[in-house]
Amino acid sequence: MSKKQKQMVALSAALAISFGIIPTANAMHIMEGYLPPLFCVVWGVICIPFLAAGFFSIKNTLKNNRKSLTILAMAGAFIFVISSLKIPSVTGSCSHMTGTGLGALLFGPASVSILGIIVLLFQAILLAHGGLTTLGANCFSMAIAGPFVSFGVYKLCLKLKVNKLVAVFLAAALGDIITYGVTAAQLALAHPSESGGVGASMAKFLAVFAPTQLPLAILEGIVTVLIIIGLETYAKKELKAIGFIKED
Amino acid sequence: MILIDKLCYHSKLRYINTGVKMAYAGITLLLCIISHSILVAGIVLGVNAYLTIHRGGIPRFRYLRLMSIPLVFLMLSTLAILVNISKIPLDAFAIPLGSYYLTGSIQGLYHGVQLILTALASVSCLYFLSLNTPMTDILNELRRIKCPSILIELMLLIYRFIFVLMDVASAITTSQNSRLGNRNFKTSCKSFGALGSALFIRAMKKSSALYDSMEARCYDGTIRVLTENYPAKQSQILLLASFEILLTAITIWRLLL
Repeated sequence: MSKKQKQMVALSAALAISFGIIPTANAMHIMEGYLPPLFCVVWGVICIPFLAAGFFSIKNTLKNNRKSLTILAMAGAFIFVISSLKIPSVTGSCSHMTGTGLGALLFGPASVSILGIIVLLFQAILLAHGGLTTLGANCFSMAIAGPFVSFGVYKLCLKLKVNKLVAVFLAAALGDIITYGVTAAQLALAHPSESGGVGASMAKFLAVFAPTQLPLAILEGIVTVLIIIGLETYAKKELKAIGFIKED
Repeated sequence: MILIDKLCYHSKLRYINTGVKMAYAGITLLLCIISHSILVAGIVLGVNAYLTIHRGGIPRFRYLRLMSIPLVFLMLSTLAILVNISKIPLDAFAIPLGSYYLTGSIQGLYHGVQLILTALASVSCLYFLSLNTPMTDILNELRRIKCPSILIELMLLIYRFIFVLMDVASAITTSQNSRLGNRNFKTSCKSFGALGSALFIRAMKKSSALYDSMEARCYDGTIRVLTENYPAKQSQILLLASFEILLTAITIWRLLL
């Protein structure tokens, strides 16, 4: 090896080790205070139509069936708890899934937008993941973009007669990747690079978070499939009650 | 259980009026990100550490550990902002990589330091709120400022259910561990799938049991709870106002410069 090659190997090894020992690699919550005020407001405003749609859909469901309040609340708590559990990983670092993909498949994307913003608020206050000023941006990437893509991919796959479990895997993994992409774009727009502007900055953010986020997306896909398999084996009745499986 | 939630019930500032605490945390947070100045961030970091550790009685090492939670995000994304890849070296540092440079400018470094401090100061505002105010108090305050009642009820129930489900999840994890369920990657994947589906089934069962018990206690669509009231003291409001005015003055001074 030439000297330069050796340096490259050492550099990449150092990088790999640093990712191995990083204690928590969360789904990408933009931290408190990281976005300038203008961006906080703009992302918040972008979320409003989705949240309003979710709010009215929940209100309607409640009018028809009061019992769905406790089911919705359980769904929210389920998303929070599932996203706070350590998922298995190869490197030994501890990472968490988003959970909103699974939520969108089970409960529909509109209600997940409202549940998602509540979960994000609790995550900010109880776990210090994300923040109050970045709630709008995080809500857009995790509670709106990710779940809607997951749900769309799932429905599309079912239309195309793809195997259901493959559809679930693709939906969860792609939802995660979209969340990661949107967050990188949000960071890039707020902090454009000095040489190369928003595009270069976006590439850098994507590159920096890729080592933690890409394996996470695949894992989230696998785990979601395993959960769905478990549910279809043991919880047919409950799945029918929330409309995930059609009544025969 | 959740550490922050446990600590906030022990805080000595717990019985101070929630509105005052929320106004302090909110306005300070806003001034922090609007001013984007190292001076303001420094003042806010200091004041919040004093309030939370000395006045609130949160142990110092706990506070420092909590402040380090967002450090990974901060490190990675600030790295992405500081380091540029370009053909022209910038003025602060430049590491050659073939015909390109890993490089950064002094302006960029200054911007990075500003960003890190602003973010840390904002996090300390968030911690001031969450380490000294129980969630139920925050929800009561939100109800008082006329947040839609469906949302408040949903939040109240979700907050309660989080702990119910966490209990279930931790019991299942313990029993999986004691049966070598997380021995290697393959078994832990299997265990996680089982945990997730069992959790969902439990959640559905508990939600219907809860609905039945609420119905049995005359639930008619609204959950009514008694709230305790801790009126704000004049001195607290005065202190709050003078601190925020001072901070605003500094912010305006830094922005005009």
